[in-house]
Amino acid sequence: MTKQDLSPALRASLAGFLAWLVPGLGHIYLGYRARGLIFLVTITATFWSGVAIGGVAGTVNRHQRRLWFVAQIGAGGQTLAAAALTDRVLPTLPLARKSDRRLDNQMRRSDDLTNRYLGDWSAAEVGVHYTGVAGLLNLLVIIDAISRADPSNGRRKQNGQLPQGGS
Amino acid sequence: MTDSILASLFTSAMNISGGQRFLLMLPLCLSVAIVYKTTRCESLREVPVAALVLWVTILLGMYTVGFGLWAIFKLLV
Repeated sequence: MTKQDLSPALRASLAGFLAWLVPGLGHIYLGYRARGLIFLVTITATFWSGVAIGGVAGTVNRHQRRLWFVAQIGAGGQTLAAAALTDRVLPTLPLARKSDRRLDNQMRRSDDLTNRYLGDWSAAEVGVHYTGVAGLLNLLVIIDAISRADPSNGRRKQNGQLPQGGS
Repeated sequence: MTDSILASLFTSAMNISGGQRFLLMLPLCLSVAIVYKTTRCESLREVPVAALVLWVTILLGMYTVGFGLWAIFKLLV
């Protein structure tokens, strides 16, 4: 079964899911290769730059930063990978085990090892903003992929364009 | 060894000073401008110029708002 055989709704759902899983993959699946690669490179670079700046435990932490995690989960597979890395790193931190929700800045700074992984206030905040914005940007990309998957889409109908490889 | 270098790159946090936080806004705003304009422009040839214009607009707007709030704060203190 080719992608042209799929119903528009199924094609749009698949494009949306692929775009969530890997930024830009939905566009690549639909034939917009160059657009997909731009999304893949830009969003991936933004997300992992944030993780590198703030440290994974201080940045993608679903226990300490729940609302930010909701934004970050828009980046899909990358957020799940970073969250898995956080789960591996957190148990190695003396102060950040089960009580990490109650961990305040004073406690963090009292321990060099914990501070090294959770970062100081500014690094963690910058990292969280990078990863959160990457997740929200990918939501925009998901919506764009879904709208391009529908052949009755107003924009392409108006311009008489159908997906061509490379744009 | 490569694994441990890569792992430490993402597990250890960087040290950032106050001034560096302002500079770190540049790439973040650039990625916002690129992604937004890539979704909006019909032709990819339009994207570089449109993204550059949007990037400069975002930066000017945010720095202006930031400076304005900082000035108000300084006046009130």
